[in-house]
Formats: sequence, C-alpha cells, structure tokens
Amino acid sequence: MSRIQLENVTKKFGKVTALDGVTLDIKDKEFFVLFGPAGAGKTTILNCIAGIQIPEEGVVKFDGEVVNLVDAAHRDTAMVFENYALYPQMTVYDNMASPLRSNLYKKDEEYIKNKIQEIAEMMKMDYLLQRLPSQLSNGQKQRVAMGRALVRSPRVYLMDEPLAHLDAKLRNAMRTELKEIQANFGTTSIYVTHDFMEAMSLGDRIAIVNEGHIVQIGTGDEIYYMPCNEFVAQLMGDPEINIIGGTLAKSAKGYTFTMNAGGKAYELPADADLFAKFDEVGLEKVEMGMRPQHLKYSFEPKEGYLKCSVYSYESIGNKSVIVAEMGELQLRMIAPNGLTVKIDQDVYVDMKLEHAMFFNADTKEYVTRYNEAEIKSFAIRED
Amino acid sequence: MNSNKKLLGAIVQNLLLVIYAIFALFPLIWMVILTFKPDTQMYTTTFIFDPTLDNYKEVLFNSDYISYMIDSLIVSGGAVIVSVVAGVPAAYALARYNFPKKEDIAFQILSFKFAPEILVVLPLFMIFQKLRIYDTHFGLIWVYQLISMPLLIWVVRGYFEDISVEIEHAAQVDGYTWYQIFFKMLIPLIKPGLVSAALLAFIFAWNSFTFPLILAGTNVQPITVAITKFLGTDSAHYGQLAVAATVSALPAIIFALCIQKHLVRGLSFGAVKG
Repeated sequence: MSRIQLENVTKKFGKVTALDGVTLDIKDKEFFVLFGPAGAGKTTILNCIAGIQIPEEGVVKFDGEVVNLVDAAHRDTAMVFENYALYPQMTVYDNMASPLRSNLYKKDEEYIKNKIQEIAEMMKMDYLLQRLPSQLSNGQKQRVAMGRALVRSPRVYLMDEPLAHLDAKLRNAMRTELKEIQANFGTTSIYVTHDFMEAMSLGDRIAIVNEGHIVQIGTGDEIYYMPCNEFVAQLMGDPEINIIGGTLAKSAKGYTFTMNAGGKAYELPADADLFAKFDEVGLEKVEMGMRPQHLKYSFEPKEGYLKCSVYSYESIGNKSVIVAEMGELQLRMIAPNGLTVKIDQDVYVDMKLEHAMFFNADTKEYVTRYNEAEIKSFAIRED
Repeated sequence: MNSNKKLLGAIVQNLLLVIYAIFALFPLIWMVILTFKPDTQMYTTTFIFDPTLDNYKEVLFNSDYISYMIDSLIVSGGAVIVSVVAGVPAAYALARYNFPKKEDIAFQILSFKFAPEILVVLPLFMIFQKLRIYDTHFGLIWVYQLISMPLLIWVVRGYFEDISVEIEHAAQVDGYTWYQIFFKMLIPLIKPGLVSAALLAFIFAWNSFTFPLILAGTNVQPITVAITKFLGTDSAHYGQLAVAATVSALPAIIFALCIQKHLVRGLSFGAVKG
C-alpha cells in the first residue's frame, strides 16, 4: 500500500556499476514487473527497495518519504528471494511464522496459526508444514518462500522470480493465483522475471531493464507493439521478432522497402501517418521488425514470395516454428504442427507488411510502425 | 557359491578390523593394566599379577593430582571460551565483510600454528616475565590462543561461508535485528562446526606440554607437566604414572561424549537453491 519511487539510483559493487541512474515511479496498488536478461540489475533494484543494499547515489522513496537511511527491518517490505533463503533449521511452519514472530511485526500464536493455514491451503502446501526445507523439492521451497512473504501485509511485496522453479502446470496456476492475491490485497507488488509470458500476463506495467539501465517502461501491449528499440523488440515475444535490414526509397505511390538480403523491393502499403513520419525523419537505412506470426509461407512457388530454404523446423507444443534462411538472413515464422518439412527444402515466404515496425538501422531505435495511433489508443493507459 | 564367497569376505573383513582394533587399543589397554600393578610386579609380570588399587590411592589422595586437574581444566576451558567468544565474530567478519588485506589477515591467523612451540617459547618467556603474567592462569589462557584460536576461526569461517547471505537478508526483511539474526539464525547453523572446533581446541590445549612447561611452574601446573613428577630421579613409579595418564584422558573423552549429538553435519544443506 505504497507508492515506491526510485530517483536516479546508482549502485556500484567495487568497480562494477550494477545500476546506473535508475528512475522508477511505481504507483500505489500497482503490479509492476521488472523484466530483462540475466545480470541486468533487476535483483539489485529489488535489494535497494528492500534496504538490503544502499545505493551510492539517488534516493528511494516510500509514499514520498525518503527511506535511504531506514534499515531493511523497518521498511515493512516482504521479499521472495530467488534462491528461496529459507531458514534450514526451521520447519516450513516456523519459516512462515518467522516474520510474524519478530519484535517488529509480532502477532499472537493463534493469529499466526490461522494465517499460515490459510496461506498454505491457498498455495496447496498445507501437507508440507512440518517438514524441514531440506526435505522439499525446489518447487516446494519456492512456494514456502512465497508463503513466508504472503503471511504479512507489508507496504510492498518484492518478488524475485518466484515462479521460476515451479513446473509448468503449477506455474500457470500460481500466476493466476498471484494476480488474484494482488488484486484482493491491493498491495503494491514488484515482480522480477525473465519470462516474457509472466511479464505480459502479470504486469500492470513493465520496466525493461538492461545493463543497469531502465530501457522502457510501459504496459505489456505498449512494449510489445511499440518497443523503443530492437533490444526490447527481441526480448518480448517468442519466437523472437525478425529484424530485416533494408533501404527506404520514395516512390510514386509512397515508399518502397528494398531488402539488403536478396535485394527484393516491396511497395509499402499506404498509411498516411507512417509516410508522414518517414518524410519527417528522412531515413534511408532502416530495419524492419516483423513478428513471426505475420510471415506467410508456402512450399510451392508463388507470385511475389521470396525463395528461401528451411533451416530448422521445431514443434513448440500447439504450433511449430519454421526458420527459413536466405543468405545471411534467417526468418522465423509460425506454422501448424504435423507438417512434413525437410531441412534445406525450398520454402516461399511473404510478409504481411501492414504489421511492420521500423527501426533506425544505425541507432537501432524505434522509428514508427503501421497503425501507430490505433495501437497507442488501446496500449497506453492513462490513469 | 556366491553367498559363501560373501560370507568369507565378511569374515576376513571383520577379522582384519578386530586385529586393527587390538593393535590400536593395545597401548591404552596396557596403560590401564599398569594402573593395577604393584611396583614390585611392574617388570616381572604381563597379564597375571595381584591387582591393587594402591596406585590410585596414592595418586588421587596422597598427591596434588586433583589441583593439577583443576589447573588444566581452568586453562584449557578458559582458552576455549576465549577462543569462541573472540573467534566466532572474527570468523563472521572474515566470511562476510570485504576489507583491505582480508586474506592476509586470515593467513596470518593461520600462520600462528606454523611455528613449532619450542621456537617461540623463549621470547614468550621473556615477555611473560616483563608483563608479570608468568605462572598465572591468565598467561596460559592467553598463550593457548595460539593453539585454539586459528583452528576455531578457520573452521567456523568455512561454516559461515556456507550459509547463503540471502538467509540473513530474509531475516532482516522479516524484521529481525542483527543480534537476533546472529543468535537465532546463524548460530544454530554453525553449531556443528563450532562444537567440533571447540572440542579439538580443548583437546589441543589440554595436551599442550611445551607452553605450560616453560611459562608456568609452581602456582599453575597443568596435568601434562605435573605427570612428569611421578618420574623421580631415583625411582620411576610407573603404576602411578599410568594412573595419572589414564585419569587425565577422561575429561576430553567425557567432553566429547557430551557434545557428540551436536556433531552432526548437514543441517544447512537444502535450504537454498543448490
């Protein structure tokens, strides 16, 4: 139940800069996701908020009040650690009771018992209460670590990849559960993950973290449809977005896009805003981002289709991914299951250009995309 | 055929173990036998003799043996207590904090055990004379830190390093103060290491001979030094010597038995992601 702000937070470990001028404004009751590759500094952000680490520069504020000098115990946060950090000498019950038995957050034993029972049932682990952590599987430990945080009603929940070690089925169930818990408790939550599905489905807003910087902050849709650069575009989405280098040229009807690989020229479908943007920036070298689901393929030659060869074909459950190759360029696309595809056979690929987004080829920054106005209207929430 | 082979293997195995046990225990058995032999039969008999308790009577009641034992208990026990009180925080600091020359300091502590005692004992003797702590309990407890402290610090440091630092962070977030974390969360986890290191330190201190021989003499006489009194210049009372040696081995054995149940390892496994 707190608004959490970080202003220009810099954290160094010796000569290594873990966080470099991180500024975040997390609203009250928000479910905020920190998303980024391993080693980006996500956990360090959490530690700075929890008070486990003190930043060298910048301030951390809870409800507008600077808490830099408040120690971890008095910040009233609850944290789920990535490596669980259970107390090995205590049973699951005592582990979960531990925050409610400390002098600061003391509750009577009757309350503790009921609370733990309630949380344990919710997490489907009431049969584990008398075990020691060494007698649990990793998934069970993770649930205990979550339970230990959830027994309290802190100002903010800090969760460091709390679902990473659960099996797929439990993970999906817990994801739904977590969203509901957060909605019911209305507690501000900060959630670290490197799974983009989790980030998209859980987060009210997502912050993309890379190399100690915040790259982009926005709703899931905003980041998915309008990534601020190619790095973010590649991070969000599985299979990864296709980045196709090429040249823009003005033509009679509008613009043509000529691919670097193969040299095929495409007449871009008309979009007044898009062309206006192109006119404005006057770029020549661009890279086009195409999500895999926006590529069409055919195994027979077709008019206007690019001839490629199959590099790989793998099933990912309810669908498959074909990777087609043309020279240096690899194109990923979604295909149904059960195709008989041979490696190196010919495949013909076309693009639904009306879904394309464009990046500056030099800076890799986002330039514009089709239907930008429409996407903005549903992706960006103002509240 | 196969089961016969297995049986034969088991018999041979056990036979070898029995032979080894006799080999290892025989000096002790011999010592205990000696305690019951009268002086007159000391050299003339092996297993058949007239058992007597005279040696025990002589040593335990007619000499200062009990006061030697008490001296030994005070200096060894005191040395271990000082080592634990000072060594555990030192081990924690070496395990958790980063400060300049940390490894050098840790190595220096370890290096106290490198030099043979006889090498440093003369300068120590001079220092002890100057400081007027020659022949005092305090002096011996102090010098015994050379024996017990490095061992304790290095063992306990390893145990602290095995505990993931996130456990401390979790306890902080749970609302515990540093002292509560240290005593409630960390001490139970290092207990097996602490107990075994303390036991070893106690035994080393108890068995120490050079330091008490040179740095103490009349007021304070630990058992190791006092035993030599039973070897006179004109006569050697081997029976009494054997009694003194046998009884002096008891405290360490009793101490070990008492804390045996704490000597279990493995509590800290499995609490963090492996």
